[in-house]
Amino acid sequence: METVHTLELKEVTKKMKGKNVVDHLSFGVRKGEIFGLLGPNGAGKTTTIRMIVGLISMSGGEILVNGLDIRKNYEKAMEQIGAIVENPQMYDYLTGYKNLMQYARMLPGVTRERIDEVVKLVDLEQAIHKKVKTYSLGMRQRLGVAQALLHRPSLLILDEPTNGLDPQGMHDLRNYLRLLADQGTSVVVSSHILAEMELMCDRVAVMQHGKLVRIDNVTNVTDQAQARVHFLLENEMNEAKSLLAEHFPAKTVEVSEKELIVEANTNQEIGDINKRLVEAGFLVYGIQVKKKTLEERFLEMTGKGGNLNEVSVAGQ
Amino acid sequence: MKFLSLVSNEWIKIFSRTRTWVFIALPILIVLGVAIYGKVTEDDTVKSNWKQEVTQQNKELKSQIAEAKKDNSPKFVAQSLENEYKQNQYALKNDISPYETTSWKFMKDMAPLSSLLGLFVIVIASDIVAGEFAKGTIKMLLIRPYSRWKILLSKLIATLAFAFFLWVILVVATWLFGSILYGFGGMDQPYLSMIDGKVHEKLISEYVLANMGLEFIEFAVTVFLAFMVSTLFYSSSVAIGISLFLTFAGNALVLFISSKSWAKYTLFPNMDLTQYLDEGLQVVKGMSLSFSLGMLAIYSALFLIITFAVFQKRDVKA
Repeated sequence: METVHTLELKEVTKKMKGKNVVDHLSFGVRKGEIFGLLGPNGAGKTTTIRMIVGLISMSGGEILVNGLDIRKNYEKAMEQIGAIVENPQMYDYLTGYKNLMQYARMLPGVTRERIDEVVKLVDLEQAIHKKVKTYSLGMRQRLGVAQALLHRPSLLILDEPTNGLDPQGMHDLRNYLRLLADQGTSVVVSSHILAEMELMCDRVAVMQHGKLVRIDNVTNVTDQAQARVHFLLENEMNEAKSLLAEHFPAKTVEVSEKELIVEANTNQEIGDINKRLVEAGFLVYGIQVKKKTLEERFLEMTGKGGNLNEVSVAGQ
Repeated sequence: MKFLSLVSNEWIKIFSRTRTWVFIALPILIVLGVAIYGKVTEDDTVKSNWKQEVTQQNKELKSQIAEAKKDNSPKFVAQSLENEYKQNQYALKNDISPYETTSWKFMKDMAPLSSLLGLFVIVIASDIVAGEFAKGTIKMLLIRPYSRWKILLSKLIATLAFAFFLWVILVVATWLFGSILYGFGGMDQPYLSMIDGKVHEKLISEYVLANMGLEFIEFAVTVFLAFMVSTLFYSSSVAIGISLFLTFAGNALVLFISSKSWAKYTLFPNMDLTQYLDEGLQVVKGMSLSFSLGMLAIYSALFLIITFAVFQKRDVKA
């Protein structure tokens, strides 16, 4: 069963100076979903995006946009993409409007009404007839979003779109992306900031060293996060530890001063552990459940600590 | 007609820059200034006593020729002095005043301005690709639904069109100002040139038109060269610098290598096509107009192949 993907990467590889900057990367973006590419700087996100929009050649693999191979049907495939690659650099000696006119002339079916509509959407009506060199970073970013949307692309690609946006701007962008996605546009967003992706995306692909580390629904990536449960005890820490080791052999138990730290996923587990401790006569005076932050999970997935099983590709 | 919108985009970008208007205004102002200055300082006594003046000139030329032969200057120096001498003699004999200014004579005198236009064209051509890389706007351009070669071709066409436009402006401005000050007409004024060591009489209009046509071809090759440099380098100031250096150092280089047998196969001796209008001005021997046109065609093709091949393959990381 193959679902129709707006964007599909198959074994995409980019070699630079003998190194695979992007290494056999495969994933698919479904119609109407917001898909996040997540990874630290240098993970290969931008290189991947540049390959999708044709700025960088592929060393191997295949990229399909609505089923069109971008190598064989370049122009047809590009017609369906709107993009911002890193900072949207505009012609600063032209006005915002004239910049949009430049791109409008290059795209099929963009009317003046459509330009006005997009300008209104990104809230640049006041400044659109001023030269871009007078724009703030946030205004440039919004103009960048406007040019990407002009021709109602079915695939919208935004590389680090929130750079330079204030919280209000980020909020507006999120809402707008959600609206577009609900109308059937597929959106690919890259970022190295996890919290942003959590708020914005349906699914995320985590990249590290050019490889796909994990791909999953954003809620899974965040919720599956194992909780670290801290049981606060008065004393006899080591006895308590051996008790737990006996009854819960699968768990690793850490001891730190007056705490036993156990990884647990469900309330049931936490309750069971507590029951054992209490029944054995330990005085449990507190239980703290500390969910791992996304940050910690991310570090784990990208190889700084954490177990390797989890680092392998899941959810494909 | 999608492709035409690419060209008009480039054209709009060229004309949205302040410098472009300076490039257009400057030649017009210079022509106007020279025209007015020439008219105001016109010396009527020289004009009526031109024969005396020319005889005096020839005396000086004679001693210069003797000197040039003595101190071993390059051959073409003595040659061109001698040509001048012969032309003066012919003028005296046939009563053709070299001091008679008409609009066409004015156009001929203003022809060297085309190297100034060449400079402007180099700036535009060098910047049109490199500038987009330098500012990062190239990626906004290349993510559109056009093959790369189309985008590059639109830039080339826009640059050539701009070069043509500047050239038309120079021609029209010189003709117009010349005509206003010296009267319309004068197309049939005789012009003296050398063919096979003998003085020939030509129509000046014929000379001017041929000169302008050849200069436009030189322009086009300059555009191809600068355009290639523009594509090979990421920084527009570096591209402009290299193009200017090549063009101007190239001319100096011609003198340096003129005696070598392979000199005629290099680019720069062939870049000066107007040398064929007046014999004796050739620095490198063994070339003809058709030879030079052929060489320029080969060089142009080479430049364009390199330009398009590099641009098509390049990974854009700007």
